[in-house]
Amino acid sequence: MRIGFMVGILGGILLAHAGYATIQYRGMLKIVEEEFSRPPMNVVVELLLGLAFCIWAALAAPAKFRSIHPDSEENRIVSLPANLDFMIFNHRGKVFPCNAEYKLKK
Amino acid sequence: MAREGDRGASGGAEDDPPIFNAENLQSNIKSIHYSRTFLSIIGGVIAGIWGFTGLTGFIFYFLVMAAASFGLAAKAKFSICTYFDSWNRIFLDGIFGGLMSFVLFWTFAYDIVHIF
Repeated sequence: MRIGFMVGILGGILLAHAGYATIQYRGMLKIVEEEFSRPPMNVVVELLLGLAFCIWAALAAPAKFRSIHPDSEENRIVSLPANLDFMIFNHRGKVFPCNAEYKLKK
Repeated sequence: MAREGDRGASGGAEDDPPIFNAENLQSNIKSIHYSRTFLSIIGGVIAGIWGFTGLTGFIFYFLVMAAASFGLAAKAKFSICTYFDSWNRIFLDGIFGGLMSFVLFWTFAYDIVHIF
C-alpha cells in the first residue's frame, strides 16, 4: 500500500508538471499568435505516463480484495481466542453440517 | 439484496440463497469505490490539461472507466464470484457517480491551464 501511495504521488507530480508545461506553451503561442490545438508531444507523453501511474496506484493502494465465501481458506478461524469465559457453543450453529477434515493451519 | 449473512458454512441442498461474508463484501465494494473516484478525478485533470472540449472529454472518461474496470477485474484475478456477488459491481457501479467528479475537475483544470 505504501508503494501504491508513492506511485500515486509521482503520477500527480507528473500531471502538475504537464499542466505547468502546457500553461507555458500557451503563453508562447500567444506571443507567436497561433491557435492552441493540442499540447506538444512530450506533454502528451507525460500525461499518458501520469495516467498509467495513477491507474496503477488506484488499483494497488486501496485494500486488497478479500474472499466472500465463508468456507474459503483465508476466512478460517484458526485458533480460539484466549478468553473462553464468554464463548457459547450451544447455539443454533449446531444444525450446520460439521466438516471434520479441517486441520489446524500451520 | 436480502442475501447477506455472517460467517457460517453454506448448508445443504435446502439452503437456496448463498451466504456471503458481508464485511468482506462491503470492504471490497468500498475499495472499488475509492479506486473509481480517484481515477475519475485524475481523468478530469488530464482531460482539462489536454484541452478536450465537448464529446471528446466524455469519450475519454468512458475510456478511463473501461481501463479501470479491466484493472479491477485483473485485481480480482478474473474470478469475480470469489470477491463479489455480481458482475455489475465491477463493471457498472460508480460510473455515473464518478462522472460528476470528472466534469468538476475537467472544468477546473481546463480553466486553470487554458483560461487563466
